[in-house]
Amino acid sequence: MKEEFREASAVLNNKYVKKWKDGGGRVVGYTCSYVPDEIFYAAGILPYRVRGFGAEAMTIGDTYFGPFICSLPKCMLQLAGQGDFDFLDGVIITPGCDSMRRLDECWRKMGDDAGAHMPAFHFHFGVPHKFTDYSITWFIEETRRLIEEVERHFHVTITNEKLAEAIRVHNKTRLLLERFDAIRSQAGPPISGTDSLAVILAGTTMPRDDYNRLLGELVGGLEKGGDKLNGRARLMLVGSASDDVELVRLIEGDRALVVADNLCFGTRFYSNLVREDGDPVEELAKRSLAHNDCPRMYGEYRERLNRLKEKAEKARVQGVILQNIRFCDLHGSENGLFERDLEKAGIPCMRLEREYGPIVESGRMRMRIDAFLERIG
Amino acid sequence: MRKETREYKFDWMLWTMFDAGAKIKKGFPKEYSTSLGYMPYYRGVIEPMLATGDPGQKFIECCAAYLDNLVHSREKGFKTAITTFCFSPAILYAMDIVPVCLEILSVMQTLTSKRGTTEHLDFCNEVGYTETSCSSQRGSLGAYLAGNGAEIDMIVTDTPGVCDTNANAFAFAAAYLDKPFFSLDMPPELNGARSDAYHLGDFRALIGFLEKHSGKKLDIDKLRTIMLRIRKQDELVAELEDLARLRPSPLPVTYNFMLHASRFLFAGMPECTACLESMLAVARENAAAGRSGLSSGVEKLRSFWCYIDHYTQNLRLWQMLERNNICYQGNILSRSWAANAPHVKEYGTEAAAYELDLSDLDGMVRSMALLNSRMPMIKSIRGPYDAKNMWLEDTVNLAKLHGADFIVYNGTPGCRNTWGMVKMFARDTEKAGFPTYIMYADAFDDRVESWEATQERFEEFLTVRGLL
Repeated sequence: MKEEFREASAVLNNKYVKKWKDGGGRVVGYTCSYVPDEIFYAAGILPYRVRGFGAEAMTIGDTYFGPFICSLPKCMLQLAGQGDFDFLDGVIITPGCDSMRRLDECWRKMGDDAGAHMPAFHFHFGVPHKFTDYSITWFIEETRRLIEEVERHFHVTITNEKLAEAIRVHNKTRLLLERFDAIRSQAGPPISGTDSLAVILAGTTMPRDDYNRLLGELVGGLEKGGDKLNGRARLMLVGSASDDVELVRLIEGDRALVVADNLCFGTRFYSNLVREDGDPVEELAKRSLAHNDCPRMYGEYRERLNRLKEKAEKARVQGVILQNIRFCDLHGSENGLFERDLEKAGIPCMRLEREYGPIVESGRMRMRIDAFLERIG
Repeated sequence: MRKETREYKFDWMLWTMFDAGAKIKKGFPKEYSTSLGYMPYYRGVIEPMLATGDPGQKFIECCAAYLDNLVHSREKGFKTAITTFCFSPAILYAMDIVPVCLEILSVMQTLTSKRGTTEHLDFCNEVGYTETSCSSQRGSLGAYLAGNGAEIDMIVTDTPGVCDTNANAFAFAAAYLDKPFFSLDMPPELNGARSDAYHLGDFRALIGFLEKHSGKKLDIDKLRTIMLRIRKQDELVAELEDLARLRPSPLPVTYNFMLHASRFLFAGMPECTACLESMLAVARENAAAGRSGLSSGVEKLRSFWCYIDHYTQNLRLWQMLERNNICYQGNILSRSWAANAPHVKEYGTEAAAYELDLSDLDGMVRSMALLNSRMPMIKSIRGPYDAKNMWLEDTVNLAKLHGADFIVYNGTPGCRNTWGMVKMFARDTEKAGFPTYIMYADAFDDRVESWEATQERFEEFLTVRGLL
């Protein structure tokens, strides 16, 4: 069963996407966990988290982006320009960070130049950087605007009933993933951090009903027990977007286990339920925006630090790896603060700056991780 | 950071320099020329500034007065707020809060010190702030993180939604120093009822924050006085912008720098008005005589800087322009988006401008919210660069209005929001008929690219494109 997740997490146009498309289904890509993907479920569209893994060159990315830009959106653009995302019928870009928001213009201009590779539906989804009464009002309106545009473009009707059903289905995923989280962070977990990330990532690239079914079976099975992975250092992985299971594999090697994370492709993606008893659009917007785990939500550092400490304690981690992609100033700087405050709290930390994309510097990273593992014993 | 650097507070050092600079020409000429010998690095700023006559004198006095307020804030009964250049300081002045404008302080240091801000830049990295972040804030933030500046009470910014690295600097400072923090957030669209309501709601929340942390209620009369001065300053800037359209441009090459620095330091305060009035008097005289503002009197080319300048030691950028007889027609910082600005009417961008309503408190707060949302960079870097009222439209329209012969982009490697699209932007400005040069220098840090290399590349661009 883990193979199902591995395939869905490691192949862009995986078999589920192909089957969906073969059945006449439409797929809309999005770049950030602040997009409420319930909207697409309600519209009968497959929401698909755009990623950048597998890019082997940066020629297209570097043509449009400048040099001082995070390699994640560059890899996304590279793949888009190579036609790897041609199965998308739409794409939504958010101002998750400045590098990512400029993917909007880069993708459009690349599409104009190539005369191809630009999905017909394109939407710039504004996400405020704070959680207040007026920013919620604004974001509810923005969410309604997105719904209207999806309805208009795809000739679908997204009713409140459909949204309420989508919320129930997605909450079910979140509850299953919470159970999964408890399993991976238990003493002697039956699953590695590498496989855990694959399981979580698969949820962003396959139909929700299939995912819930597979996840339910996996969680049920793991809860009954399994071969325990003992005798390894327990780590938490924190920082910039990490959607490549190979990075976790490199970190774990045969001496460590990533038993918890605070990544936007990881637990941040599914934390917090959407309330099921209110207006569905309002509740979706509130859940998305209240989700302050990303440093793009300025001024919330203390809350994030406290959550991190809680997670570290709950998962009994022995060390935290604070990684950031080069030019990711938001995570990079916050990692500096985390390092100061977590070390003060007695939690060993290691900061690791890296490039996104093919892991070409595995020797350097391995050496640093080994040294950290020696430090924490 | 070296022990010697910590010997005196960073802002106190700047104050003594600018305070002395404001007095240096008030003695006899011989005293002046002798004194210059004692300031081998700083004289490159003082001399050309004071050579512009009364405007330069007023400008140096403006800087000295600002720094005096900052370093003596406690004695004068003011609170202090670390803030950013694109946040209008008027609301802070209305509440007796001294704006500690990081970027302007960085510029003051880079212009006047041989080592620039390198130690502060590096100190930020030492305490965990990324080296890839923008040097404009880091250059002075390092001093405050090291406790080597005036006491700070709070931190306010307005760049979320516009510039991550900027907003992040202030969020980092708040967390590191454990100070109260408020950020005005900017939606991607400038116009429309939703954005207006958001700007207003946010600004009202800001006032609540400032009242809480300053311990003072917003004084409506004081705010009105300040806004009346802003209205006056907008008129002065509008006339200066209009005069800059003449051929030759009657504006001395440093005017743009002086214009935006004085507004960032003292918007709504008499010091800024005095500086602008003095500049305008000279510009009018030059215009009446048909005289170029360039010291050579010969205008060969007209440059438009679509982003920021290059601030490292001794105004070398402006010296280079002077040497090549190139006049300076503005940058993203120097624009006023008051409704009376010449470009607003000419290009039908009234919706992107602001008007000041002084009728009651509600009108004034609404106006200030609107003004703040139209500050340089805040206005035009928020949405896609090619959207209505955004960077491309502004740049092309302003370059046309000012008869620019070419456009230059310069920033810092920390500027994620412009480096994310400047290649395409430059392609579009080229299509619009403007040779466009992308500088790869760091406006605040010569270690990224030496000034000599920057200058050589710039002049090579002019040669290769047949402009010189």
